[in-house]
Amino acid sequence: MERMASHYRKSGGRWLGSGILRGMGVTLKNWIGSYFDPSRLVTVCYPGERLPLPENSRSFPFLIYDGDDPEAGLRCVACRICEKECPPECIHIENERDENGKPRKRPAVFDIDISVCMSCQICVEVCPFDAIEMDQIYAISTNARFEPLRLHKEQLLKPNEYFRELSPTRSAAADARREAERAKQAKKKEAGKKG
Amino acid sequence: MTEDKQLQDELALYGVHLTLLEQVYNWGRSNSLWPLQFGLACCAIEMIASVTARYDLGRFGSEIFRPSPRQADLMIVSGTVTKKMAPQVVRLYNQMAEPKYVLAMGACAISGGPFKGGYNVVKGIDRYIPVDIFVPGCPPRPEALLNGIIHLQETIRRQKLSGPGKARHADRDQPSEYAIPEEGGRDLVPQYNAETWRPSWQGGGK
Ligand code: SF4
Ligand code: SF4
Repeated sequence: MERMASHYRKSGGRWLGSGILRGMGVTLKNWIGSYFDPSRLVTVCYPGERLPLPENSRSFPFLIYDGDDPEAGLRCVACRICEKECPPECIHIENERDENGKPRKRPAVFDIDISVCMSCQICVEVCPFDAIEMDQIYAISTNARFEPLRLHKEQLLKPNEYFRELSPTRSAAADARREAERAKQAKKKEAGKKG
Repeated sequence: MTEDKQLQDELALYGVHLTLLEQVYNWGRSNSLWPLQFGLACCAIEMIASVTARYDLGRFGSEIFRPSPRQADLMIVSGTVTKKMAPQVVRLYNQMAEPKYVLAMGACAISGGPFKGGYNVVKGIDRYIPVDIFVPGCPPRPEALLNGIIHLQETIRRQKLSGPGKARHADRDQPSEYAIPEEGGRDLVPQYNAETWRPSWQGGGK
């Protein structure tokens, strides 16, 4: 008894197992409390309900197009900067070619292997044309490793409206940048005409 | 007749439930997937998060993470499989009782991810053991793992126990254990199990 009392004094009032009891007390409090206070029911029943994602949450990249036609409004000019910068090298781009085999400024093939992509957003940061952005889709699971996890251009292309909805702040900044660039180009053209 | 899904659903509306032993068996298995309790890297943190009250993996019958492979049904390969860890992962898989399933969680487990060019990381665990579900992400959100488990449950419910196209564990010709890779001088030996994975230059590639 003497030894136990001294142990109790030394351990600052903590007994062996007292932590477990305290933890179970919290559980008990939440269980009983959940009958009176719905905010104690913390489970989000995933397939039915979903937690709202923060704006900067990101999963895999996608390509943006303007207007209604994905092919005409494609922003990407196949400069392949993102392909070179992607650390795990999971972007694969092939230029479109004209009859003489000269590469055009459009991608014929644009694949992202999301089985390798690490959501680092470097491709987004280096793209000079705001053509690639981060998506928030996460509910992906497949039975096979290679083809289903390789997203092709057709799957990657999404309209600018989608991006506006996804991330108002970032899309507003991108739109402003593109608008400023267009104004600069127009001014240059004007100056060229005058000169 | 009971194989006729449409008729079955129609009858179910009138309170008549027809079923096959196979379906009862699959229903039972799909709702008691006990995962093996081990984590390899950052994905394991998301796996732990998916068992917390917020996401509650227990709603799908998978809350009991078993510390022994003998009691586990599902191996969640959550994270980077290094060459040092690969033999242990395959050995644990071999020790699990049939029917057993593997879920590769995250870029590293699927393909080596950011480390796929490295000297010490296995370029996808599907080279050594057969993987049923792939969940991409770096790391996948807890919801993504839940989604993968739901997908696995659907896959199990569709499995056949006899006839052509039957499930892997019901097929006696399919191996249940795989060769354990050992640390060689420069690489793992074998580099991949021919029974699970064939590189593209040998006419493979799933
Ligand atoms: S997010 Fe990172 S890993 Fe993914 S495609 Fe872009 S640069 Fe590559
Ligand atoms: S997405 Fe951007 S960086 Fe990548 S090729 Fe297209 S324009 Fe260039």
